[in-house]
Amino acid sequence: MNEKLKQLYQSVILEHNNRPVRYEKNEGSTFALDAYNPLCGDRFQLYFGLEEGKIKGLSFHGYGCAISKASTSILVKHLEGQPIQKALELCRAFGAVVRPEAPAVEGAEEDFEAFAAAREFPQRLKCATLSWEEMERFLEAETSG
Amino acid sequence: MPGLAPLEIRQQFPLFFHHPELAYLDNAATTQKPRMVVEALTAFYEKQNANIHRGIYGLSARATQQYEQVRAKIAEWLGAAGPGNIVFTSGTTAGINLVARSFLEPRLHAGDEVLITAMEHHANLIPWQMACRRKGAKLCVIPMSRAGELDMGAFREMLSGRVKMLAVTQVSNTLGTINPVEEMIGLAQRKGIPVLVDGAQSAAHFAVNVGAWGVDFFAFSGHKLYGPTGIGILYGKEEHLYAMEPANFGGDMVRNVTFEETTFAPPPQRFEAGTTHIAGVIGLGSAVDFIRQLDTPAVQAHLKELGQYARALLAEIPGLHFVGEAHQSSAIVSFVLDKAHPHDVATFLSAENIAVRAGHHCTQPIMDFFGIPGTTRASFAIYNSREEVERLAAQLREIQKFFA
Repeated sequence: MNEKLKQLYQSVILEHNNRPVRYEKNEGSTFALDAYNPLCGDRFQLYFGLEEGKIKGLSFHGYGCAISKASTSILVKHLEGQPIQKALELCRAFGAVVRPEAPAVEGAEEDFEAFAAAREFPQRLKCATLSWEEMERFLEAETSG
Repeated sequence: MPGLAPLEIRQQFPLFFHHPELAYLDNAATTQKPRMVVEALTAFYEKQNANIHRGIYGLSARATQQYEQVRAKIAEWLGAAGPGNIVFTSGTTAGINLVARSFLEPRLHAGDEVLITAMEHHANLIPWQMACRRKGAKLCVIPMSRAGELDMGAFREMLSGRVKMLAVTQVSNTLGTINPVEEMIGLAQRKGIPVLVDGAQSAAHFAVNVGAWGVDFFAFSGHKLYGPTGIGILYGKEEHLYAMEPANFGGDMVRNVTFEETTFAPPPQRFEAGTTHIAGVIGLGSAVDFIRQLDTPAVQAHLKELGQYARALLAEIPGLHFVGEAHQSSAIVSFVLDKAHPHDVATFLSAENIAVRAGHHCTQPIMDFFGIPGTTRASFAIYNSREEVERLAAQLREIQKFFA
């Protein structure tokens, strides 16, 4: 088996894939974002509310590969309780870690770095960014509205 | 002893010189191209390029002649009555869309039915669905078993007077199932129902005889039979082609044009508006030459053996489940692993130079039927070997362990 690939998966991804953070449906939440990639069929729902400008009660459910599931789990871990502006910054920081064309960010969260290895597998980039991009779009609309 | 030497055949495919370690197991998506096809394309552009059906000069006349010779060659290869039955298209998808639009729709009315099967590729589903929607007709789906075999009893009962078309794939691109198309054609036609067979997965390796079958339409793509992309064939019965209006309008498909009115050229020209993929046609002709020089029974025996060997080795991997286990199946093997998602599996295989497909394979209803989001699929061609099957099985074993 390929060592680089094993490293990419072993560091953070397998852990979050097997034990995802707050992996539960919450049909009654104020917001439910649908992060869906029709090309591969990966699909996650992000459930949350907004209280005093902060993301509250964030959880997720759905189906996808180990990379998309782990990246969504990490999103939930980091964005819960964050004010909208800070959450948006985190979304952008995550994008900067995984996208080959993005400038490096200093002081990015440690478990974001695990996904930096995804740069070597560009066909899997969309898996890493699926839920983050959906959340980023939502937050941008919130801040511009 | 099987009469096919995959390693010798592999020598004829330039891609494997550039990727000597590659186990290419995504042949249901597209096959690699033998040197003679690549050279035919290059030779056409270097030595013979001119537009067809138009020029008086020598080059154009020769290009036209070559183009029409390929039509005649394909007609003969398919067992068609003549070259007039052979329409050049951009591929299987374009052929099916043309039939749905130009053949079916004008004769489809509210309350009519169109039959397809539960295992169709989106390309043999959506065109019929759209035609039904536009005309208020009903799309009816012949069911299949968990093994991925059509329910022929249900099919017989569905053949009512309301049915205006049957569209069925000869081989499922996802399950590998070989459908009894000859029997289905006979049953449908006894009720006066025209039949289209999707030959995308079968034309390369199966003995096709449209004349003997009496099928109304047969569509396939060049790139899945060792030929170029962007070129395909629609075979149609002469009376059907004459009854059909073209779907595209433009140059090279008319008899007479005024500002008031246009009369169309006879088929097949009326379906080939504009400048077609001339080099692609020449390349497709070369691909058919390539296939015809192979020993067909040996090719079929080799692929059958590879498919069975793959199923035997993979069946021993704990936590691996086949998707599609028909008695009659081609060298397409779809499966899921308990612990690993198809895309993760494909990424790990890719890192070991094994190319497979992962996902829904443009057959979302099949995924819904089995309650899965996707499968990993290995599909074999003449240049694949037992050794590659063994590599695949060994890696899958490792992957399953890694994710467990």
